[in-house]
Amino acid sequence: MKDLISNAETINKLLARYGVKFGIYKNGEFKEQLFPFDPIPRIIEHNEYIHLEKGLKQRVNALNCFLSDIYGNKRIVTDGVIPEEFIYSAKGFLTPCDGVAPPKNIYSHISGIDLVQSKDDNWYILEDNLRVPSGASYPMIARELQRRSAPDVFSYNSVVDNRNYADLLKEVMDYVNTGGINVILSPGRYNAAFFEHSYLAEKTGAVLTTGRDIICENDNVYYIDYNGKKQRVGAVYRRISDEYLDPMTFYEESVIGIPHIFEAYKKGNVALLNAPGNGVADDKGIYYFVPKMIRYYLGEDALLMNAPTYLPYYKNDMRYVLDNFDKLVIKDVAEAGGYGVVFGNSLTKEKKEKFITLLKSEPRRFIAQEVIDFYDLNILDETGNKVPRKADLRAFVLTNGDTKVWPSGLTRFSRNPDSFIVNSSQGGGFKDTWVLSR
Amino acid sequence: MQNEKSGTIKKLKFTYKLNAKYSSPITHHSFTVMFLPSDTDRQKINTLDIHISNFKNYCLSDDNFGNKKIYGLIEEAHDRFDVVISGAAETGLDIKEEYTSYPFEYSLLKTQTKLTAPGKKLIEYHRSLELDTLSGSYDKALHIMRTLPGIFLYDTEATEVHETAENALTIGKGVCQDYAHIMLSLLRMESIPARYAVGMMLGEGSSHAWVEVLCNGYWYGFDPTNNKLVNEDYIRVSCGRDSSDCSVIRGSFYGCVTQDQRETVNVEKI
Repeated sequence: MKDLISNAETINKLLARYGVKFGIYKNGEFKEQLFPFDPIPRIIEHNEYIHLEKGLKQRVNALNCFLSDIYGNKRIVTDGVIPEEFIYSAKGFLTPCDGVAPPKNIYSHISGIDLVQSKDDNWYILEDNLRVPSGASYPMIARELQRRSAPDVFSYNSVVDNRNYADLLKEVMDYVNTGGINVILSPGRYNAAFFEHSYLAEKTGAVLTTGRDIICENDNVYYIDYNGKKQRVGAVYRRISDEYLDPMTFYEESVIGIPHIFEAYKKGNVALLNAPGNGVADDKGIYYFVPKMIRYYLGEDALLMNAPTYLPYYKNDMRYVLDNFDKLVIKDVAEAGGYGVVFGNSLTKEKKEKFITLLKSEPRRFIAQEVIDFYDLNILDETGNKVPRKADLRAFVLTNGDTKVWPSGLTRFSRNPDSFIVNSSQGGGFKDTWVLSR
Repeated sequence: MQNEKSGTIKKLKFTYKLNAKYSSPITHHSFTVMFLPSDTDRQKINTLDIHISNFKNYCLSDDNFGNKKIYGLIEEAHDRFDVVISGAAETGLDIKEEYTSYPFEYSLLKTQTKLTAPGKKLIEYHRSLELDTLSGSYDKALHIMRTLPGIFLYDTEATEVHETAENALTIGKGVCQDYAHIMLSLLRMESIPARYAVGMMLGEGSSHAWVEVLCNGYWYGFDPTNNKLVNEDYIRVSCGRDSSDCSVIRGSFYGCVTQDQRETVNVEKI
């Protein structure tokens, strides 16, 4: 462990050199910032991991069942488990996807599930990310560099080898591939996660490309290489959001998408990872219903708990939220990346009244949650002292015929001692995540 | 009420023309054209000819609302793009259309969209209409259509291409698309399923838009722009939640050009 700490500075320098950066747009300007690495790992004991793994697989399986149902027969709505308002008014419900089954009927191939551990040692799910979850590359490269600087540490401490992420990802792409090469479709150099796109392409052997090198012709997708040679594409791991994916079906002004790729997908001629339309399942309003989905589709009780959540849409919940406003955190369901989050006790009297009026006029737009008292993790501050900070864990779950959890994950922490928000886009840092083999 | 007047059958021929000219040649031109009328309870399309800039290799597809579209990719440089869709139709076979779509469409079409979502102005106007004094979707729709011209004027310069119903009503002027969006918003505030329809009207001009309202299991057409019930003078081409589901033409290409795009529609009696 000492080795890791003494090498921390070198590793951060190397990360900077390899371009491990996170781009953010602030006031319309693109800025790249380093994603600071903290050398003290999060350690997950073997038994605890077994429990997490089971719970994560269960959750992702249920979410995939839900997506298949929602874009199919919608039994969960007709059976009255989820009110229809939560489906049709969700920003992520895309009508063009209705009735379209993706190759092998898998919707969420790569799921990023965010969890926190509370002070009572329970894990709670904070949110599901089923569209384009990013972040696996950061712990991958950090581990790679640490292995070089302190090769014995990992076997000595019985840390499960996590170098298989790229293999898992490649297996998933191959499994749904409809005939042709695998490509990773990036919006380009100025995307927040461009480092990750290029790193994953290199590690999986997929071709890194932008929309400019891909064409759709007669409902097939082709990659044009630097020689002008046309190659059929069978799977697209797209790192472009749904709205921008195809200007002929979705947002017409998109210049980073591929015209008519949605038609090729609809006709079963190409696999898109993840499937378009997944936003309906990771909507913050739908989150409330995930334990019910697990019961409904799998006939099981959820192994991993949701943070206690209230839907102001229901009268009883609205009353609870108004009575307990100061101890709750309220989230706007349409926002992501740590935006649109309001802590009840942080508002002035005037702002609170204004907010409550808004809440009453648009109850479907918000959810309220109990604030979970996170278990803090130590980080090293600038002077080398250990200080506790809030941290979460993004677990990566990959689905081909089988559902697998990557025995690692992205542990993000807030550098600000008073903040609960750990998102990279809000300037946090990250740690390695050790899963112990015994 | 629903038998205001049963239509007479008409035989019509129609031509839709789109002519685009680019100031210099463009390449890698992807296009989608959604202007292919099909058979409904009201109309029968007897012939349909499609002509796209001598381009024969196009693909066909349809969406969840049953709208048909043609699309393709022209890689070679070109500075013109011409679409001609023409044919013959029989209209007025019925004044309504049976609701046979899958049951989810019902819920979907009751839900406001980005373009129809009401703000202060629409909520206020909706309240002033006192629709709860009327019973039945048909009468409510008729009342909305009859009163709208009193507060909304036709003006081709007032609104933008993707104007919301709320903004249009605030401006107080707009085109057929705006009339339709406002009417859709009001109907959906009443939880009445309603859809946006694109099509053609007897005479010469451009494509037109109106509203179809679900009343007792049948779709009825209301044209708020002309304050008229949809009859045998109309040919429907497509429908959806709002105008964004019914874009007649979409395109993307490489080239730094200015374009001059003209659309003409001609419908006449045979």
